[in-house]
Amino acid sequence: MLARRAPLGAAGCGRLLAAGLRPLLCALSPCWVTAGRQYPSLRVAEPAKEKRLVRKEQRSSLVVRRFIACPQLARTVRRCLQGGADPGPQPVLLEFAPGPGILTRSLLDAGFRVVALESNSDFFTDLQSLEDSLDGQLKVIHGDFFRMDPLAKGALKPPAVSSDKLFETLGVAAVPWRADVPLKIFGIVPQQLERNRLWRLLFAMYECSSIYRYGRVELNLFISEKEYMVLTAKPGKSKIYQALTVLAQLGYEIELLHKEPWSSFATTLKNGGLAIPKAGRLPNDHFCLVRLTPQQNLFTGGLKPSNASTFIFMVKQSFAKPKSKLMDRLNSWSLDNSDRLLKALEIPKNAVMCNLYPEDYKRLFEALQNSDLFAESFFHDEVLASTRTMNL
Amino acid sequence: MGWQGTSAAGTERGERCRARGCCGSGPGDGGVRLWPDPRRSELGPERRGSAGLPCSPGSATARTLRRVPGSDPPRRGRHGRQGERSAAALHHGSCSSARRDSRSRRAPRRGGACAAARGARGPGMWLLRLRAVLRGPGGLRGPGIPWRIFRSYSSASTKEKANRNGPCERTELLEVLKARAKQLQGSNVPEVTVSKVELGALDNDKYQEAVVPGPKEKQPIPRARGDGLSQSSTWAKKLQKEMYSQHLKMKQELGSAASQLALEGQGKVQSTPKAKTMKIPKTKAATAWNQSSGSAHNKPRVVEGKEAAELKRPQRMPKDRTNQQALQQTIQCNLECFLFLQHAEEAERYLLLCHSSPVKRKVMDVGAFNVVMRIWARKGSLSRLDRLFSILEAAGLQPNLDSYAVALQCMGRNQSPPKAILRYLQKLNSSGFHVDELFQKCLFEEDEKEMVLWAIRTVQPNYQLPPPPIPKICKSSLLQDFYSRETMGSYPKVDFSEKELQERFQQQLEMELNNTVTIESVEAAKPLTPQAIKARELLGTLRSQWHDAILQALQNSKRSMVRPKRLSKYSILYPYLCLLPDEEYVDIMLQILNDLSPQGESLAVLARELGTKVYDRYIIQRKLRSGQLKKVQKIYENYIQLLAKGSQPKHYLPREYWEKLVAEAGFGPSLNLTTCSWPCVLLMRLGMHMLELLVKAVKVPRNILNRRLESKPIPVLYHVYSFYSNWQVGLIRPHPIFSQLVSNAAETTLTFNSSAMPMLCPPVPWTSPSFGAFVLNDTKLMRFMDETTYHQLLLEQCPLVNLHPVLDALNQLGNCAWKINQPVLDIIISIFNDKGDEKLDIPPPLSEAPKPPTPPGNSSTWSKTFKHEVFLCKKKAAEMHSLRMDALYKLSIANYVRDKVFWFPHNMDFRGRTYPCPPYFNHLGNDVTRAILLFAEGRPLGPKGLDWLKIHLINLTGLKKKNALQERLEYANEIMEDILDSADRPLTGRKWWMDTDEPWQALACCMEIAKASRSPDPAAYISHFPVHQDGSCNGLQHYAALGRDLSGAASVNLVPCGLPQDVYSAVAQQVEEFRKKDAERGLKIAQVLEGFISRKVVKQTVMTVVYGVTRYGGRLQIEKRLKEIDEFPEEYLWEASHYLVKQVFNSIKEMFSATRDIQNWLTESAKLIAQSGRTVEWVTPLGLPIIQPYYRSRSTVLNCGMQRLSVKTSNSTQKPDTVKQKNAFPPNFIHSLDSTHMMLTALHCLRKGLTFVSVHDCYWTHALTVDVMNQVCRQQFVALHSEKILQDLSEFMLEKYCSSSSSSTEPIAHWQKRLMEQLSNVPKTGEFNLKQVMDSTYFFS
Repeated sequence: MLARRAPLGAAGCGRLLAAGLRPLLCALSPCWVTAGRQYPSLRVAEPAKEKRLVRKEQRSSLVVRRFIACPQLARTVRRCLQGGADPGPQPVLLEFAPGPGILTRSLLDAGFRVVALESNSDFFTDLQSLEDSLDGQLKVIHGDFFRMDPLAKGALKPPAVSSDKLFETLGVAAVPWRADVPLKIFGIVPQQLERNRLWRLLFAMYECSSIYRYGRVELNLFISEKEYMVLTAKPGKSKIYQALTVLAQLGYEIELLHKEPWSSFATTLKNGGLAIPKAGRLPNDHFCLVRLTPQQNLFTGGLKPSNASTFIFMVKQSFAKPKSKLMDRLNSWSLDNSDRLLKALEIPKNAVMCNLYPEDYKRLFEALQNSDLFAESFFHDEVLASTRTMNL
Repeated sequence: MGWQGTSAAGTERGERCRARGCCGSGPGDGGVRLWPDPRRSELGPERRGSAGLPCSPGSATARTLRRVPGSDPPRRGRHGRQGERSAAALHHGSCSSARRDSRSRRAPRRGGACAAARGARGPGMWLLRLRAVLRGPGGLRGPGIPWRIFRSYSSASTKEKANRNGPCERTELLEVLKARAKQLQGSNVPEVTVSKVELGALDNDKYQEAVVPGPKEKQPIPRARGDGLSQSSTWAKKLQKEMYSQHLKMKQELGSAASQLALEGQGKVQSTPKAKTMKIPKTKAATAWNQSSGSAHNKPRVVEGKEAAELKRPQRMPKDRTNQQALQQTIQCNLECFLFLQHAEEAERYLLLCHSSPVKRKVMDVGAFNVVMRIWARKGSLSRLDRLFSILEAAGLQPNLDSYAVALQCMGRNQSPPKAILRYLQKLNSSGFHVDELFQKCLFEEDEKEMVLWAIRTVQPNYQLPPPPIPKICKSSLLQDFYSRETMGSYPKVDFSEKELQERFQQQLEMELNNTVTIESVEAAKPLTPQAIKARELLGTLRSQWHDAILQALQNSKRSMVRPKRLSKYSILYPYLCLLPDEEYVDIMLQILNDLSPQGESLAVLARELGTKVYDRYIIQRKLRSGQLKKVQKIYENYIQLLAKGSQPKHYLPREYWEKLVAEAGFGPSLNLTTCSWPCVLLMRLGMHMLELLVKAVKVPRNILNRRLESKPIPVLYHVYSFYSNWQVGLIRPHPIFSQLVSNAAETTLTFNSSAMPMLCPPVPWTSPSFGAFVLNDTKLMRFMDETTYHQLLLEQCPLVNLHPVLDALNQLGNCAWKINQPVLDIIISIFNDKGDEKLDIPPPLSEAPKPPTPPGNSSTWSKTFKHEVFLCKKKAAEMHSLRMDALYKLSIANYVRDKVFWFPHNMDFRGRTYPCPPYFNHLGNDVTRAILLFAEGRPLGPKGLDWLKIHLINLTGLKKKNALQERLEYANEIMEDILDSADRPLTGRKWWMDTDEPWQALACCMEIAKASRSPDPAAYISHFPVHQDGSCNGLQHYAALGRDLSGAASVNLVPCGLPQDVYSAVAQQVEEFRKKDAERGLKIAQVLEGFISRKVVKQTVMTVVYGVTRYGGRLQIEKRLKEIDEFPEEYLWEASHYLVKQVFNSIKEMFSATRDIQNWLTESAKLIAQSGRTVEWVTPLGLPIIQPYYRSRSTVLNCGMQRLSVKTSNSTQKPDTVKQKNAFPPNFIHSLDSTHMMLTALHCLRKGLTFVSVHDCYWTHALTVDVMNQVCRQQFVALHSEKILQDLSEFMLEKYCSSSSSSTEPIAHWQKRLMEQLSNVPKTGEFNLKQVMDSTYFFS
């Protein structure tokens, strides 16, 4: 546990600026404050370029990272994170990939105790000097949030981190699922493989593994608007209502905290481009701050962390052909009494996969669990084979 | 890769081949193991060869390609999801054991392979197969070449040019407009539009009448033309009327009305504006036409018209070309389909329909018309043919030779009056053709040739067929001796009389006519359990039920298609479902059902397989129908005189003799079939349709195994999806009940395609790129994975005489007769039917598979680790199953031919490496298969033969690699007791043979030595045993010779030396030195590796480095080796292998400096060429043209009822894949050289009367002739490298890629300059004296 401290006053803030921020900010021109395209202070990232090139050995392409660059935005985000709570002492907050640490400073100012997880060694060094200048309010760890608990066996090499170690450092102990949120996490989801990362989080939650072993960890994530649209889509919208939607809505309470135009963020691109991900037909003008709180009542009924992968597989299987009829899909899983099943569930016979509500899927799964046919069907083998590969 | 079926503990040789196979794929990932799978290995040789890279027609030959257009408008639609997913899936990939290596993301394909390696057989294998399939049709057949390309009419073009002058162009343009108008009428445009267009047409008529008499042309020509025109207009009117009345009739049929309306709408909306636009750019178009006829005069005529069309259109639609090409192919296929069915009316309707669609019209060429005219000609309906002729001309297309041949054939058939015939003959002459050309260049079927001749003789009673062309002789300097008539001896005879060969041919023919062969598997010897008997009975009844159900479903679906909903996507499949008798389709579907593995199979693979099977049978039917078979039969009868014992000696090569016989035969059908191969999309659609029928029709009572359940029919096949990251793949899986039933029945028959069996008679000699090998089964000279017609095109364009050496070499390899080593086979089968033996590479049966731990209660409560354990067990079982099946196939085929003499017809990959066509059982296989093969021909051992056998045995053991031959021989004599013991009591004795590198071949060799040494006179002992001579690191040998690299040459045995040099040990030493230095500098990993660096660790990587293994693949190879060392600390595996592969690469660079230079030069040249947007091409010293088939692929999504499929399409307009072009060039170039060396050796061995076969760089012959072969091999190596190979390559490429004639006006671009510099800057060579190779004992040993 970090030592409790009184929130810093204005003077403290000044000190902080003097000690921590100034070296970083001295090179800034005014334009970055207005979230301009060119963000000179990000020149701190520049020396890392060689290293990134070195790392190109391992990484396929330069990863575009996005940062909160203007204090205005930082303040907004901070307010969202405070969530109207008293401005009193704040719980621990894990911030991953803080980059230059603009938000970090804002949070520290507001009295948060922050643990920062940074993989870029240059940012890391800078943050470390900030850590040193403070009295334990900030803790910096070298690591990449999205390389937590990798599947491969063998020794962990940074920036991969293990959740065990991380939570030990955080001083957060595991709590039961139904207990309160043990930890808040904030971070910006890298747009590369954004979807995959969300999937991974979902898997972890359904299986209560990785960070979710410690309870219902609350995520505050910046995700692209299109992914937000997918997460919150309503049944019947065949294009955006997807397996991810069903699983997310069932698993999380999804709360939109803030929408911010892409241009407010700085990127690591040399030309200062915004690198807005393509979205197809979905609106995608914003970066959305979304709060994902795991549902307290997720593991009620037949769904358990141990059989959750089967459930996920079932949902994915269902959405392989979203417009097919539920009956047909059930039949294709070699369930020949699907008639009875549907009647019991009070689902109409001609229901189409993409029209079912997330809760319906859960009920369906529970019903299937209870029927002995399910274990017998070869559907089950497929889960075994696929779990590992699905689980990125 | 996995095709040879080497087990996990593959022998070194096996691995080596595997690695080489991979490297064809350029950035070879030699480390990833794929396991063999029965069905996949049908594609097997394919993979071996071009190792599965997308191929496609390249740009350089694009001008002769049909350029064609449009297609069904690309079906884009709602495929976003699938596309997205597959893209994402490519990102995903980590190797089973390896840490998540983000590098795999860089190489998407590899990622896939890794995923496959990780998955169980189910997922893994079908993923691979899926990938193979998505890349295009593999198998033994590849798509053929549109027949138009067979001919080039260059001789005609000058005259033709004269015909095309300005005014003429304008008339042609008017004709186009007129035809347009006619079509509009023809396709039932509502009255209002008709009148409008009619007006336009009238206008044009007037204008045209004003123009036509105006220009002064050479006398006879305009008249002929005028004739044609007047004819055409009357015909056109008639046609118009007919169409109209037809339309009226159709309107009365309620059913058709709707669809017709749809048609009209399409025709109207799109064609009206077209007519307008055509008018405006009239002058422009005319000039363009002029230009084109001016510049294109030296191009083949067929292309000319299209080229012109291309010029007319602005070049802004390159994207369309892919589809255009596909569309043209589709149209051609559809029409040919009608031709086969003799559905003249439908064909014509389809033709006119295409003609009236603006998109399709663009792609239509004269070939399409010819097909339809041919149908009418067969029916003898001259009037319909005349009409088409006029439409054809009116459309601005030039009739070609085939058009005239068809017309004449028709007139011959209905015995037309001389006047009509004369009219066509005049036209033919005026188009710049000569009557003789008809017989020299056109391909005929059935009695067409006779009919044409009859027609001509009606007019010119004394007309004589042109004399057959004088056979040309290859002038390659490397083969002067070979082809010189003086030294030519008689061709080696086989040990059969003419009559015996004739009988064997009949057997082979029968087998191929049956399409499939069903044989007893070697497991048949096991006793039957009562349960099995019961299950078989049950399966039997079920099968007959399924047969009826499928038949009914097929007939129903056909019936529903016949109904006139003309535009539905299914209706176009209808003719394809009529090609064969219904029973045959049912057979094909049932066969698929029988072969389905319990893990299921990807939809795409199954669909492709079904489609391909239909295609193969259709081709055979065509061959029968066209009378080709009869002719082949007749010629073969005479041909075997060349081979049969006791026949007159003939101073011919097989190819020459065959050509001579064909020329003498004169009449009858041509042997080259003029078939357009089916595009991949079509194969898939057809396959999907059949699959859907199968899934819907086949049911099994649910209670068949468990009587307590209620009886309810449930489907046998299910459609599920599997997920790989975000990639979803549709699977067809059999219901467990079905799988259980099949496994209970333990059936012991296997059904193979007839092309999977060795031939029972000497193969038909290759005489052209599309004729040879099997009697009926379609085989391509060059195998390719994809839909690439490109290699084949290149071959077609190449003057045939340049291919003679390659064809002769393939014939030579294919003419080697084989038989089975029965004692060895029996021992292998006994072990196989017992419990197998992993150490001896005999895969154990599934009963030996590890059992998964018993599940604690309900599956939902299983823990994660437990699930994983179960998963691993299943994976292992799946792997074992596929290895087992592979071995079962090989052994069963061997057992089937155990008393026969058989032949392996050969073909080659795109680099010229040769492969036997039958995929499972052949001499390229693993140790087990090689051990059961013997030469059918026996030769006495001679004075040194026994010694060679002994040396060969020691070579096979892998012992004494560093010792001189004499020492090996002495060693063999020392352990003679062990050898004899192994031979006498292989399974009960001391089992010396089991502890060798290649145990089974060693055992076979022991037996041979025992027999020989016990015979009264070993020198006279007749041996059938093949003795191998192996190049020592053949790739590096070629590099060293190319660069005349002294030190390199010495380390790969190009320099005579008392002891064999071992390049692997040398590299290991060098690596050890580097390591020591690093260790001293305190590098941790170098210190860890102390004592672990050995020859074995680096061998595979060194071997494959020349073949382009990348660091990625190399690392995997080394990691595997290190893992085998128990003491090596596991946590350092990644780092150590990473470090070692770097050092191996460095060491090789250090040791083979010239190699590095050449490799760099090749790589850099290829890079610049690919960057300039062209494909790397070269010609081997033997004259074989080679093109690297690596293109950026594009996939189209097919919406087939059950599921959308993504199909990779290939075409000439795709950009080359720079990375692959670049990385693969050095290894491919070296492969083209080693194949050249092999072919040269094969041909010269033939002249010396040797039996010779090769496994790439391992040459086989009788013990008696090893010395002669060694000499020839060295001579040919010296001769080959005495050519200025690199200079020639440089010149060829400069000419090809840098000749500025095409753009003389433009300044030379920067890239061009760089390319020129690069290409001219040939690496310098060293001091090595090539002649030394002649005396090097260990060069090949």
